[in-house]
Amino acid sequence: MSALTAMSARPAGVPWRAMVGAELLKLRKRRGLFWSTLVLVVVPVVVGYVILTVHHAIDPDHAAPAGGITNLRGTYEFLAQVGMVAAIMIGITAGGGDLGAGVFRELVVTGRSRIALFGVRFPGAILFLAPFVLAAAVIASVASVALPGSGREPGALLMVGYAGWLALALLSGMALALGIGSLLSGRVAIGLVLAWQFVLTPLLLQIGKVDAVLVGAALRRIEPGSTDDSVSPTIAVLALAAWTLIPLAVGAWRTARRDA
Amino acid sequence: MNNDTHFVIETDALTKRFGDRVAVDGVELRVPRGSAFGYLGPNGAGKTTLIRMLLGLTDASSGTMRLLGLPVPEQRGAALARVGAIVEEPRFHPFLSGRENLQVAAAVRGANAEARIDGALRRVGLTERADERVRSYSLGMRQRLGVGRALLGDPELLLLDEPTNGLDPAGIHEFRDMIAGFIGEGRTVLLSSHLLDEVEKICEAVAIVDRGRVVVQGSIEQLKAGGERTVLIGTPDELRAQAALAEHAAVGSVERNGAGIRVTLEPDLELTTEEAAGELNRSLAAEGIVVHKLVAESASLEERFLQITERLGGSE
Repeated sequence: MSALTAMSARPAGVPWRAMVGAELLKLRKRRGLFWSTLVLVVVPVVVGYVILTVHHAIDPDHAAPAGGITNLRGTYEFLAQVGMVAAIMIGITAGGGDLGAGVFRELVVTGRSRIALFGVRFPGAILFLAPFVLAAAVIASVASVALPGSGREPGALLMVGYAGWLALALLSGMALALGIGSLLSGRVAIGLVLAWQFVLTPLLLQIGKVDAVLVGAALRRIEPGSTDDSVSPTIAVLALAAWTLIPLAVGAWRTARRDA
Repeated sequence: MNNDTHFVIETDALTKRFGDRVAVDGVELRVPRGSAFGYLGPNGAGKTTLIRMLLGLTDASSGTMRLLGLPVPEQRGAALARVGAIVEEPRFHPFLSGRENLQVAAAVRGANAEARIDGALRRVGLTERADERVRSYSLGMRQRLGVGRALLGDPELLLLDEPTNGLDPAGIHEFRDMIAGFIGEGRTVLLSSHLLDEVEKICEAVAIVDRGRVVVQGSIEQLKAGGERTVLIGTPDELRAQAALAEHAAVGSVERNGAGIRVTLEPDLELTTEEAAGELNRSLAAEGIVVHKLVAESASLEERFLQITERLGGSE
Protein backbone atom coordinates (compact mmCIF):
# COMPACT_ATOMS: atom_id res chain seq x y z
CA MET A 1 0.00 0.00 0.00
CA SER A 2 1.23 3.45 -0.67
CA ALA A 3 1.90 6.04 1.95
CA LEU A 4 -1.05 7.87 0.50
CA THR A 5 -3.47 5.42 2.05
CA ALA A 6 -1.80 5.75 5.36
CA MET A 7 -2.21 9.50 5.38
CA SER A 8 -5.70 9.90 4.10
CA ALA A 9 -8.28 7.44 2.93
CA ARG A 10 -10.50 9.89 1.11
CA PRO A 11 -10.57 13.68 1.10
CA ALA A 12 -13.81 15.19 2.25
CA GLY A 13 -16.36 16.02 -0.40
CA VAL A 14 -17.60 14.48 -3.59
CA PRO A 15 -15.47 14.89 -6.73
CA TRP A 16 -18.43 16.28 -8.65
CA ARG A 17 -16.44 17.54 -11.60
CA ALA A 18 -14.72 14.21 -12.25
CA MET A 19 -17.94 12.29 -11.72
CA VAL A 20 -19.93 14.48 -14.11
CA GLY A 21 -17.09 14.07 -16.60
CA ALA A 22 -17.38 10.30 -16.23
CA GLU A 23 -21.13 10.49 -16.86
CA LEU A 24 -20.49 12.54 -19.98
CA LEU A 25 -17.88 10.00 -21.13
CA LYS A 26 -20.39 7.16 -20.74
CA LEU A 27 -22.97 8.99 -22.87
CA ARG A 28 -20.51 10.31 -25.43
CA LYS A 29 -19.04 6.89 -26.10
CA ARG A 30 -22.39 5.36 -26.98
CA ARG A 31 -22.22 5.72 -30.72
CA GLY A 32 -25.88 4.96 -31.29
CA LEU A 33 -26.96 7.63 -28.85
CA PHE A 34 -24.53 10.16 -30.29
CA TRP A 35 -25.70 9.72 -33.87
CA SER A 36 -29.38 9.49 -32.93
CA THR A 37 -29.13 12.76 -31.06
CA LEU A 38 -27.38 14.39 -33.98
CA VAL A 39 -30.05 13.13 -36.38
CA LEU A 40 -32.92 14.16 -34.12
CA VAL A 41 -31.68 17.57 -32.98
CA VAL A 42 -29.29 19.07 -35.54
CA VAL A 43 -30.05 17.39 -38.85
CA PRO A 44 -33.77 18.35 -38.90
CA VAL A 45 -32.83 22.04 -38.75
CA VAL A 46 -30.43 21.74 -41.66
CA VAL A 47 -32.78 19.57 -43.70
CA GLY A 48 -35.75 21.83 -42.84
CA TYR A 49 -34.08 25.00 -44.05
CA VAL A 50 -32.71 23.29 -47.16
CA ILE A 51 -36.21 22.07 -48.05
CA LEU A 52 -37.77 25.47 -47.38
CA THR A 53 -35.11 27.16 -49.51
CA VAL A 54 -35.44 24.71 -52.39
CA HIS A 55 -39.24 24.81 -52.20
CA HIS A 56 -39.23 28.59 -52.36
CA ALA A 57 -36.78 28.54 -55.27
CA ILE A 58 -38.96 26.09 -57.21
CA ASP A 59 -42.33 27.59 -56.40
CA PRO A 60 -41.92 31.16 -55.08
CA ASP A 61 -45.63 31.96 -55.60
CA HIS A 62 -46.81 29.33 -53.15
CA ALA A 63 -43.79 28.76 -50.88
CA ALA A 64 -42.58 31.59 -48.65
CA PRO A 65 -38.84 32.29 -48.26
CA ALA A 66 -37.04 30.18 -45.65
CA GLY A 67 -35.91 33.01 -43.37
CA GLY A 68 -37.86 35.14 -40.91
CA ILE A 69 -39.76 34.68 -37.68
CA THR A 70 -42.49 32.34 -38.92
CA ASN A 71 -40.12 29.62 -40.06
CA LEU A 72 -37.94 30.11 -36.97
CA ARG A 73 -40.98 29.42 -34.79
CA GLY A 74 -41.93 26.42 -36.90
CA THR A 75 -38.40 25.07 -36.69
CA TYR A 76 -38.30 25.31 -32.91
CA GLU A 77 -41.75 23.78 -32.49
CA PHE A 78 -40.70 20.89 -34.72
CA LEU A 79 -37.43 20.56 -32.79
CA ALA A 80 -39.32 20.45 -29.51
CA GLN A 81 -41.05 17.33 -30.85
CA VAL A 82 -38.22 15.39 -32.51
CA GLY A 83 -35.60 16.67 -30.10
CA MET A 84 -37.81 15.38 -27.31
CA VAL A 85 -37.26 11.84 -28.58
CA ALA A 86 -33.50 12.38 -28.26
CA ALA A 87 -33.89 13.96 -24.82
CA ILE A 88 -35.93 10.96 -23.66
CA MET A 89 -33.36 8.51 -25.00
CA ILE A 90 -30.57 10.40 -23.25
CA GLY A 91 -32.52 10.58 -20.02
CA ILE A 92 -33.35 6.88 -20.01
CA THR A 93 -29.74 6.01 -20.80
CA ALA A 94 -28.34 8.28 -18.11
CA GLY A 95 -30.89 7.04 -15.58
CA GLY A 96 -30.56 3.33 -16.19
CA GLY A 97 -27.26 2.82 -18.02
CA ASP A 98 -25.18 1.84 -14.98
CA LEU A 99 -27.87 -0.40 -13.60
CA GLY A 100 -28.53 -2.06 -16.95
CA ALA A 101 -24.85 -2.85 -17.45
CA GLY A 102 -24.48 -4.08 -13.86
CA VAL A 103 -21.95 -1.34 -13.20
CA PHE A 104 -24.03 0.42 -10.55
CA ARG A 105 -22.94 -2.07 -7.89
CA GLU A 106 -19.30 -1.61 -8.94
CA LEU A 107 -19.70 2.10 -8.21
CA VAL A 108 -21.57 1.57 -4.95
CA VAL A 109 -18.74 -0.57 -3.59
CA THR A 110 -16.43 2.43 -3.77
CA GLY A 111 -18.34 3.77 -0.79
CA ARG A 112 -19.55 6.82 -2.71
CA SER A 113 -23.10 7.74 -1.71
CA ARG A 114 -25.87 6.61 -3.99
CA ILE A 115 -27.33 10.11 -3.98
CA ALA A 116 -24.03 11.41 -5.35
CA LEU A 117 -24.03 8.65 -7.98
CA PHE A 118 -27.53 9.70 -9.00
CA GLY A 119 -26.80 13.40 -8.66
CA VAL A 120 -24.25 13.49 -11.47
CA ARG A 121 -26.52 11.85 -14.02
CA PHE A 122 -28.62 14.90 -14.86
CA PRO A 123 -25.69 17.32 -15.25
CA GLY A 124 -23.90 14.70 -17.36
CA ALA A 125 -26.95 14.32 -19.57
CA ILE A 126 -27.30 18.10 -19.90
CA LEU A 127 -23.67 18.43 -20.92
CA PHE A 128 -24.16 15.75 -23.53
CA LEU A 129 -27.31 17.31 -25.02
CA ALA A 130 -26.22 20.94 -24.77
CA PRO A 131 -23.84 21.06 -27.78
CA PHE A 132 -26.49 19.56 -30.04
CA VAL A 133 -29.15 22.04 -28.91
CA LEU A 134 -26.67 24.89 -29.21
CA ALA A 135 -25.70 23.82 -32.73
CA ALA A 136 -29.36 23.55 -33.73
CA ALA A 137 -30.12 26.94 -32.24
CA VAL A 138 -27.17 28.60 -33.98
CA ILE A 139 -28.10 27.07 -37.35
CA ALA A 140 -31.76 28.08 -36.98
CA SER A 141 -30.88 31.60 -35.85
CA VAL A 142 -28.35 32.16 -38.62
CA ALA A 143 -30.72 30.74 -41.24
CA SER A 144 -33.61 32.88 -40.04
CA VAL A 145 -31.64 36.09 -40.66
CA ALA A 146 -29.27 35.02 -43.45
CA LEU A 147 -31.97 33.62 -45.68
CA PRO A 148 -34.53 36.00 -47.15
CA GLY A 149 -37.83 36.08 -45.30
CA SER A 150 -41.32 37.26 -46.05
CA GLY A 151 -41.85 39.04 -42.74
CA ARG A 152 -39.74 40.57 -39.99
CA GLU A 153 -36.30 39.23 -39.15
CA PRO A 154 -36.11 37.85 -35.62
CA GLY A 155 -34.14 39.89 -33.08
CA ALA A 156 -31.37 38.48 -30.88
CA LEU A 157 -33.67 38.44 -27.85
CA LEU A 158 -36.25 36.33 -29.65
CA MET A 159 -33.56 33.92 -30.85
CA VAL A 160 -32.24 33.49 -27.31
CA GLY A 161 -35.81 33.17 -26.06
CA TYR A 162 -36.55 30.36 -28.47
CA ALA A 163 -33.29 28.56 -27.69
CA GLY A 164 -34.07 28.81 -23.98
CA TRP A 165 -37.63 27.60 -24.55
CA LEU A 166 -36.35 24.59 -26.49
CA ALA A 167 -33.80 23.87 -23.78
CA LEU A 168 -36.53 23.98 -21.11
CA ALA A 169 -38.75 21.67 -23.14
CA LEU A 170 -35.99 19.12 -23.67
CA LEU A 171 -34.71 19.32 -20.10
CA SER A 172 -38.15 18.61 -18.67
CA GLY A 173 -38.49 15.59 -20.96
CA MET A 174 -35.00 14.44 -20.11
CA ALA A 175 -35.62 14.79 -16.36
CA LEU A 176 -38.81 12.75 -16.64
CA ALA A 177 -37.00 10.07 -18.63
CA LEU A 178 -34.03 10.05 -16.25
CA GLY A 179 -36.28 9.63 -13.24
CA ILE A 180 -38.29 6.85 -14.86
CA GLY A 181 -35.10 5.28 -16.22
CA SER A 182 -33.79 5.06 -12.66
CA LEU A 183 -36.97 3.26 -11.60
CA LEU A 184 -37.64 0.81 -14.40
CA SER A 185 -35.67 -1.22 -16.91
CA GLY A 186 -34.64 0.57 -20.11
CA ARG A 187 -37.21 -0.80 -22.57
CA VAL A 188 -40.18 -0.45 -20.26
CA ALA A 189 -39.08 3.04 -19.26
CA ILE A 190 -38.58 4.30 -22.80
CA GLY A 191 -41.93 2.88 -23.92
CA LEU A 192 -43.69 4.43 -20.98
CA VAL A 193 -42.17 7.88 -21.40
CA LEU A 194 -42.67 7.97 -25.17
CA ALA A 195 -46.28 6.87 -24.75
CA TRP A 196 -46.85 9.55 -22.14
CA GLN A 197 -45.15 12.25 -24.17
CA PHE A 198 -46.50 11.53 -27.62
CA VAL A 199 -49.82 9.77 -27.03
CA LEU A 200 -51.33 10.57 -23.67
CA THR A 201 -50.21 14.18 -23.32
CA PRO A 202 -51.61 15.27 -26.74
CA LEU A 203 -54.86 13.46 -25.91
CA LEU A 204 -55.17 15.19 -22.56
CA LEU A 205 -54.35 18.54 -24.16
CA GLN A 206 -57.16 17.94 -26.64
CA ILE A 207 -59.57 17.26 -23.81
CA GLY A 208 -58.35 20.43 -22.10
CA LYS A 209 -59.47 19.57 -18.56
CA VAL A 210 -56.09 19.07 -16.93
CA ASP A 211 -53.93 21.63 -18.73
CA ALA A 212 -52.71 23.07 -15.45
CA VAL A 213 -50.77 19.93 -14.66
CA LEU A 214 -49.45 19.17 -18.14
CA VAL A 215 -45.99 20.16 -19.18
CA GLY A 216 -47.24 20.45 -22.78
CA ALA A 217 -49.64 23.22 -21.80
CA ALA A 218 -46.93 24.92 -19.76
CA LEU A 219 -44.55 24.92 -22.72
CA ARG A 220 -47.27 26.24 -25.02
CA ARG A 221 -47.88 29.07 -22.54
CA ILE A 222 -44.26 30.15 -22.16
CA GLU A 223 -43.30 29.81 -25.81
CA PRO A 224 -42.00 33.17 -27.12
CA GLY A 225 -44.80 35.12 -28.75
CA SER A 226 -47.44 32.78 -27.35
CA THR A 227 -51.05 33.92 -27.30
CA ASP A 228 -52.20 30.81 -25.44
CA ASP A 229 -53.79 31.60 -22.09
CA SER A 230 -55.12 28.22 -21.06
CA VAL A 231 -52.90 28.37 -17.97
CA SER A 232 -51.36 31.28 -16.12
CA PRO A 233 -47.61 31.92 -16.45
CA THR A 234 -47.15 31.07 -12.76
CA ILE A 235 -48.94 27.77 -13.13
CA ALA A 236 -46.89 27.05 -16.25
CA VAL A 237 -43.61 27.67 -14.45
CA LEU A 238 -44.75 25.59 -11.47
CA ALA A 239 -45.84 22.75 -13.73
CA LEU A 240 -42.52 22.77 -15.55
CA ALA A 241 -40.59 22.84 -12.28
CA ALA A 242 -42.68 19.99 -10.90
CA TRP A 243 -42.28 17.87 -14.03
CA THR A 244 -38.53 18.39 -13.84
CA LEU A 245 -37.91 18.05 -10.12
CA ILE A 246 -40.39 15.37 -9.07
CA PRO A 247 -39.10 12.66 -11.45
CA LEU A 248 -35.55 13.47 -10.37
CA ALA A 249 -36.51 13.24 -6.70
CA VAL A 250 -38.27 9.92 -7.26
CA GLY A 251 -35.28 8.59 -9.19
CA ALA A 252 -32.90 9.70 -6.41
CA TRP A 253 -35.12 8.09 -3.79
CA ARG A 254 -35.20 4.79 -5.65
CA THR A 255 -31.46 4.84 -6.36
CA ALA A 256 -30.71 5.44 -2.69
CA ARG A 257 -32.86 2.53 -1.55
CA ARG A 258 -32.52 -0.21 -4.12
CA ASP A 259 -30.26 -3.23 -3.74
CA ALA A 260 -27.27 -2.81 -6.04
CA MET B 1 -4.62 3.92 8.17
CA ASN B 2 -6.23 2.32 11.18
CA ASN B 3 -3.64 -0.32 11.94
CA ASP B 4 -4.63 -0.80 15.55
CA THR B 5 -7.44 -3.17 14.67
CA HIS B 6 -6.37 -6.78 14.56
CA PHE B 7 -9.44 -7.83 12.62
CA VAL B 8 -10.27 -6.08 9.35
CA ILE B 9 -13.70 -7.68 9.22
CA GLU B 10 -15.80 -8.32 12.30
CA THR B 11 -19.41 -9.35 12.19
CA ASP B 12 -21.69 -10.14 15.09
CA ALA B 13 -24.95 -12.03 14.72
CA LEU B 14 -25.13 -10.78 11.14
CA THR B 15 -28.33 -11.95 9.52
CA LYS B 16 -30.02 -11.45 6.17
CA ARG B 17 -33.51 -12.67 5.46
CA PHE B 18 -35.32 -12.74 2.15
CA GLY B 19 -38.89 -13.21 3.27
CA ASP B 20 -38.97 -16.49 5.19
CA ARG B 21 -35.63 -17.64 3.83
CA VAL B 22 -32.54 -16.92 5.92
CA ALA B 23 -29.58 -16.43 3.59
CA VAL B 24 -27.08 -15.37 6.25
CA ASP B 25 -27.78 -16.66 9.72
CA GLY B 26 -26.15 -14.99 12.72
CA VAL B 27 -22.67 -14.93 11.24
CA GLU B 28 -19.79 -14.20 13.62
CA LEU B 29 -16.77 -13.64 11.41
CA ARG B 30 -13.28 -12.44 12.33
CA VAL B 31 -10.81 -11.85 9.52
CA PRO B 32 -7.29 -11.10 10.78
CA ARG B 33 -5.32 -8.26 9.23
CA GLY B 34 -2.64 -9.12 6.68
CA SER B 35 -3.93 -12.61 5.88
CA ALA B 36 -5.43 -14.38 2.91
CA PHE B 37 -8.70 -15.56 4.38
CA GLY B 38 -10.95 -18.04 2.63
CA TYR B 39 -14.71 -17.84 2.97
CA LEU B 40 -15.59 -21.29 1.88
CA GLY B 41 -18.94 -22.84 1.25
CA PRO B 42 -21.05 -24.66 -1.29
CA ASN B 43 -23.09 -22.74 -3.84
CA GLY B 44 -26.06 -21.06 -2.20
CA ALA B 45 -24.45 -21.06 1.26
CA GLY B 46 -24.77 -17.28 1.59
CA LYS B 47 -21.21 -16.26 0.73
CA THR B 48 -22.11 -13.59 -1.80
CA THR B 49 -24.91 -12.23 0.36
CA LEU B 50 -22.47 -11.69 3.21
CA ILE B 51 -20.06 -9.85 0.93
CA ARG B 52 -22.89 -7.77 -0.50
CA MET B 53 -23.86 -6.71 3.02
CA LEU B 54 -20.29 -5.82 3.91
CA LEU B 55 -20.08 -3.67 0.79
CA GLY B 56 -23.38 -1.92 1.36
CA LEU B 57 -25.00 -3.43 -1.72
CA THR B 58 -27.85 -4.75 0.39
CA ASP B 59 -28.93 -4.03 3.95
CA ALA B 60 -28.53 -6.50 6.79
CA SER B 61 -31.71 -7.67 8.48
CA SER B 62 -29.99 -7.63 11.87
CA GLY B 63 -26.56 -7.82 13.48
CA THR B 64 -23.50 -5.58 13.27
CA MET B 65 -20.49 -5.27 10.97
CA ARG B 66 -17.15 -3.52 11.22
CA LEU B 67 -14.80 -3.03 8.27
CA LEU B 68 -11.25 -1.95 9.07
CA GLY B 69 -12.45 -1.09 12.53
CA LEU B 70 -15.23 1.18 11.29
CA PRO B 71 -18.89 0.37 11.85
CA VAL B 72 -20.88 -0.10 8.69
CA PRO B 73 -23.23 1.07 7.38
CA GLU B 74 -22.70 4.09 9.68
CA GLN B 75 -19.20 4.83 8.32
CA ARG B 76 -19.55 2.94 5.09
CA GLY B 77 -18.03 5.66 2.90
CA ALA B 78 -14.84 5.96 4.94
CA ALA B 79 -14.48 2.19 5.28
CA LEU B 80 -15.08 1.34 1.62
CA ALA B 81 -12.65 4.02 0.48
CA ARG B 82 -9.97 1.59 1.74
CA VAL B 83 -11.57 -1.54 0.33
CA GLY B 84 -11.44 -3.03 -3.16
CA ALA B 85 -13.93 -5.63 -4.26
CA ILE B 86 -15.04 -8.03 -6.93
CA VAL B 87 -18.59 -9.29 -6.48
CA GLU B 88 -19.41 -12.29 -8.64
CA GLU B 89 -18.55 -11.56 -12.27
CA PRO B 90 -17.16 -8.03 -12.56
CA ARG B 91 -19.31 -5.87 -14.79
CA PHE B 92 -18.27 -3.09 -17.16
CA HIS B 93 -19.69 -0.80 -19.79
CA PRO B 94 -18.96 -2.88 -22.90
CA PHE B 95 -18.77 0.12 -25.22
CA LEU B 96 -15.98 1.69 -23.15
CA SER B 97 -12.37 0.58 -23.28
CA GLY B 98 -10.75 -1.07 -20.30
CA ARG B 99 -8.97 2.17 -19.47
CA GLU B 100 -12.17 4.21 -19.79
CA ASN B 101 -14.00 1.84 -17.48
CA LEU B 102 -11.27 2.36 -14.92
CA GLN B 103 -11.52 6.12 -15.47
CA VAL B 104 -15.20 5.97 -14.59
CA ALA B 105 -14.47 4.06 -11.38
CA ALA B 106 -11.54 6.33 -10.54
CA ALA B 107 -13.71 9.42 -10.97
CA VAL B 108 -16.15 8.02 -8.43
CA ARG B 109 -13.39 7.01 -6.01
CA GLY B 110 -11.55 10.33 -6.22
CA ALA B 111 -8.49 10.59 -3.96
CA ASN B 112 -5.83 10.10 -6.64
CA ALA B 113 -7.41 6.96 -8.05
CA GLU B 114 -6.96 8.36 -11.57
CA ALA B 115 -3.20 8.34 -11.09
CA ARG B 116 -3.28 4.61 -10.25
CA ILE B 117 -4.94 3.51 -13.51
CA ASP B 118 -1.75 2.81 -15.44
CA GLY B 119 -0.22 0.92 -12.53
CA ALA B 120 -3.36 -1.15 -12.05
CA LEU B 121 -3.50 -2.05 -15.74
CA ARG B 122 0.16 -3.01 -15.68
CA ARG B 123 -0.31 -5.11 -12.57
CA VAL B 124 -3.10 -7.18 -14.12
CA GLY B 125 -1.31 -7.45 -17.46
CA LEU B 126 -3.76 -5.44 -19.53
CA THR B 127 -1.66 -2.47 -20.58
CA GLU B 128 -1.44 -3.67 -24.18
CA ARG B 129 -5.20 -4.02 -24.56
CA ALA B 130 -6.31 -1.22 -22.26
CA ASP B 131 -7.62 0.89 -25.12
CA GLU B 132 -9.75 -1.83 -26.67
CA ARG B 133 -13.42 -1.96 -25.90
CA VAL B 134 -14.33 -4.29 -23.05
CA ARG B 135 -16.85 -5.91 -25.42
CA SER B 136 -13.88 -7.67 -27.05
CA TYR B 137 -12.40 -8.94 -23.76
CA SER B 138 -12.50 -12.58 -22.74
CA LEU B 139 -14.02 -13.50 -19.39
CA GLY B 140 -10.54 -13.94 -17.96
CA MET B 141 -9.52 -10.46 -19.10
CA ARG B 142 -12.64 -9.02 -17.51
CA GLN B 143 -11.76 -10.76 -14.26
CA ARG B 144 -8.31 -9.24 -14.40
CA LEU B 145 -9.73 -5.82 -15.22
CA GLY B 146 -12.01 -6.26 -12.21
CA VAL B 147 -8.97 -6.82 -10.02
CA GLY B 148 -7.38 -3.74 -11.59
CA ARG B 149 -10.46 -1.71 -10.73
CA ALA B 150 -10.40 -3.04 -7.18
CA LEU B 151 -6.83 -1.73 -6.83
CA LEU B 152 -7.67 1.86 -7.78
CA GLY B 153 -8.31 2.84 -4.18
CA ASP B 154 -4.99 1.37 -3.01
CA PRO B 155 -7.03 -0.88 -0.71
CA GLU B 156 -6.04 -2.29 2.65
CA LEU B 157 -8.67 -4.98 2.21
CA LEU B 158 -9.72 -6.84 -0.93
CA LEU B 159 -13.02 -8.71 -0.98
CA LEU B 160 -12.92 -11.14 -3.88
CA ASP B 161 -16.03 -13.18 -4.58
CA GLU B 162 -15.31 -16.21 -6.78
CA PRO B 163 -12.53 -14.29 -8.53
CA THR B 164 -11.11 -17.21 -10.51
CA ASN B 165 -14.34 -17.95 -12.33
CA GLY B 166 -13.58 -18.14 -16.02
CA LEU B 167 -9.81 -18.20 -15.62
CA ASP B 168 -7.81 -20.89 -17.35
CA PRO B 169 -5.20 -22.86 -15.35
CA ALA B 170 -2.44 -20.43 -16.25
CA GLY B 171 -4.69 -17.53 -15.26
CA ILE B 172 -5.50 -19.18 -11.94
CA HIS B 173 -1.80 -19.66 -11.27
CA GLU B 174 -1.12 -16.00 -12.06
CA PHE B 175 -3.99 -15.04 -9.85
CA ARG B 176 -2.53 -16.99 -6.91
CA ASP B 177 0.76 -15.15 -7.37
CA MET B 178 -1.11 -11.87 -7.47
CA ILE B 179 -2.84 -12.63 -4.16
CA ALA B 180 0.50 -13.58 -2.62
CA GLY B 181 1.81 -10.23 -3.83
CA PHE B 182 -1.10 -8.39 -2.21
CA ILE B 183 -0.46 -10.13 1.10
CA GLY B 184 3.23 -9.31 0.80
CA GLU B 185 2.28 -5.64 0.49
CA GLY B 186 0.39 -5.80 3.77
CA ARG B 187 -3.10 -6.01 2.30
CA THR B 188 -5.71 -8.43 3.56
CA VAL B 189 -7.62 -10.59 1.10
CA LEU B 190 -10.97 -12.22 1.77
CA LEU B 191 -11.46 -14.85 -0.90
CA SER B 192 -14.95 -16.23 -1.18
CA SER B 193 -15.08 -19.48 -3.09
CA HIS B 194 -16.65 -22.88 -3.36
CA LEU B 195 -13.36 -24.25 -4.76
CA LEU B 196 -11.62 -26.00 -1.87
CA ASP B 197 -8.39 -26.57 -3.70
CA GLU B 198 -8.14 -22.91 -4.60
CA VAL B 199 -8.73 -21.78 -1.03
CA GLU B 200 -6.29 -24.35 0.39
CA LYS B 201 -3.55 -23.17 -1.96
CA ILE B 202 -4.09 -19.46 -1.45
CA CYS B 203 -5.34 -18.93 2.08
CA GLU B 204 -3.86 -19.37 5.54
CA ALA B 205 -7.14 -19.12 7.38
CA VAL B 206 -10.64 -20.04 6.48
CA ALA B 207 -14.25 -19.92 7.57
CA ILE B 208 -16.56 -22.65 6.38
CA VAL B 209 -20.09 -21.52 5.77
CA ASP B 210 -23.08 -23.72 5.20
CA ARG B 211 -26.72 -22.72 4.85
CA GLY B 212 -25.95 -19.18 5.91
CA ARG B 213 -24.05 -20.12 9.07
CA VAL B 214 -20.31 -20.02 9.74
CA VAL B 215 -19.72 -23.55 10.92
CA VAL B 216 -16.06 -23.26 11.78
CA GLN B 217 -13.25 -20.76 11.33
CA GLY B 218 -9.55 -20.71 12.03
CA SER B 219 -6.26 -21.46 10.33
CA ILE B 220 -6.32 -24.20 7.71
CA GLU B 221 -3.95 -26.25 9.88
CA GLN B 222 -6.27 -25.92 12.87
CA LEU B 223 -9.20 -26.86 10.73
CA LYS B 224 -7.54 -29.93 9.32
CA ALA B 225 -6.36 -30.90 12.81
CA GLY B 226 -9.95 -30.80 13.98
CA GLY B 227 -10.80 -33.56 11.57
CA GLU B 228 -10.41 -37.30 11.80
CA ARG B 229 -6.74 -38.36 11.95
CA THR B 230 -5.70 -41.81 10.90
CA VAL B 231 -2.57 -43.92 10.65
CA LEU B 232 -2.29 -46.63 8.02
CA ILE B 233 -0.15 -49.54 9.18
CA GLY B 234 1.19 -52.37 7.02
CA THR B 235 2.25 -55.58 8.79
CA PRO B 236 2.36 -59.28 7.91
CA ASP B 237 0.69 -60.06 11.26
CA GLU B 238 -2.53 -58.06 11.02
CA LEU B 239 -4.57 -60.00 13.57
CA ARG B 240 -2.05 -59.62 16.40
CA ALA B 241 -1.41 -56.02 15.45
CA GLN B 242 -5.12 -55.22 15.45
CA ALA B 243 -5.53 -56.68 18.94
CA ALA B 244 -2.50 -54.80 20.27
CA LEU B 245 -3.55 -51.49 18.75
CA ALA B 246 -7.08 -51.76 20.10
CA GLU B 247 -5.62 -51.60 23.63
CA HIS B 248 -3.51 -48.51 22.95
CA ALA B 249 -4.59 -45.28 24.66
CA ALA B 250 -4.04 -43.15 21.54
CA VAL B 251 -6.33 -45.29 19.43
CA GLY B 252 -10.01 -44.60 18.95
CA SER B 253 -10.80 -47.42 16.56
CA VAL B 254 -9.03 -50.01 14.41
CA GLU B 255 -10.16 -51.59 11.18
CA ARG B 256 -8.53 -53.87 8.65
CA ASN B 257 -8.93 -53.14 5.00
CA GLY B 258 -7.22 -54.28 1.84
CA ALA B 259 -4.40 -51.76 2.28
CA GLY B 260 -3.55 -52.74 5.86
CA ILE B 261 -4.78 -51.62 9.25
CA ARG B 262 -6.36 -48.20 9.50
CA VAL B 263 -6.11 -46.74 12.98
CA THR B 264 -8.29 -43.78 13.84
CA LEU B 265 -6.70 -41.71 16.59
CA GLU B 266 -8.55 -40.40 19.63
CA PRO B 267 -9.98 -36.96 18.71
CA ASP B 268 -8.56 -35.24 21.81
CA LEU B 269 -5.10 -36.75 21.49
CA GLU B 270 -2.49 -34.06 22.08
CA LEU B 271 0.19 -35.67 19.90
CA THR B 272 0.53 -34.77 16.24
CA THR B 273 -0.47 -37.47 13.78
CA GLU B 274 3.21 -38.15 13.02
CA GLU B 275 4.10 -38.40 16.70
CA ALA B 276 1.20 -40.78 17.28
CA ALA B 277 2.32 -42.93 14.34
CA GLY B 278 5.76 -43.20 15.91
CA GLU B 279 4.22 -44.13 19.23
CA LEU B 280 2.12 -46.88 17.64
CA ASN B 281 5.18 -48.21 15.82
CA ARG B 282 7.13 -48.37 19.10
CA SER B 283 4.26 -50.18 20.75
CA LEU B 284 3.98 -52.78 17.98
CA ALA B 285 7.75 -53.31 17.93
CA ALA B 286 7.62 -53.94 21.67
CA GLU B 287 5.14 -56.74 20.97
CA GLY B 288 7.53 -58.16 18.36
CA ILE B 289 5.29 -57.23 15.47
CA VAL B 290 7.05 -56.20 12.26
CA VAL B 291 5.80 -53.00 10.65
CA HIS B 292 6.64 -52.47 6.98
CA LYS B 293 4.39 -49.49 6.29
CA LEU B 294 3.44 -46.54 8.46
CA VAL B 295 1.52 -43.61 6.95
CA ALA B 296 0.24 -40.70 9.03
CA GLU B 297 -2.89 -39.30 7.38
CA SER B 298 -4.63 -36.01 8.12
CA ALA B 299 -7.89 -35.01 6.53
CA SER B 300 -7.48 -32.71 3.56
CA LEU B 301 -9.46 -29.50 3.62
CA GLU B 302 -11.85 -31.12 1.18
CA GLU B 303 -12.43 -34.11 3.47
CA ARG B 304 -12.83 -31.82 6.46
CA PHE B 305 -15.23 -29.62 4.54
CA LEU B 306 -17.32 -32.60 3.55
CA GLN B 307 -17.25 -33.96 7.10
CA ILE B 308 -18.52 -30.66 8.44
CA THR B 309 -21.16 -29.96 5.84
CA GLU B 310 -22.39 -33.58 5.74
CA ARG B 311 -22.67 -33.62 9.50
CA LEU B 312 -24.76 -30.49 9.36
CA GLY B 313 -26.82 -31.85 6.55
CA GLY B 314 -27.50 -35.01 8.48
CA SER B 315 -28.50 -33.20 11.59
CA GLU B 316 -31.27 -31.23 9.93
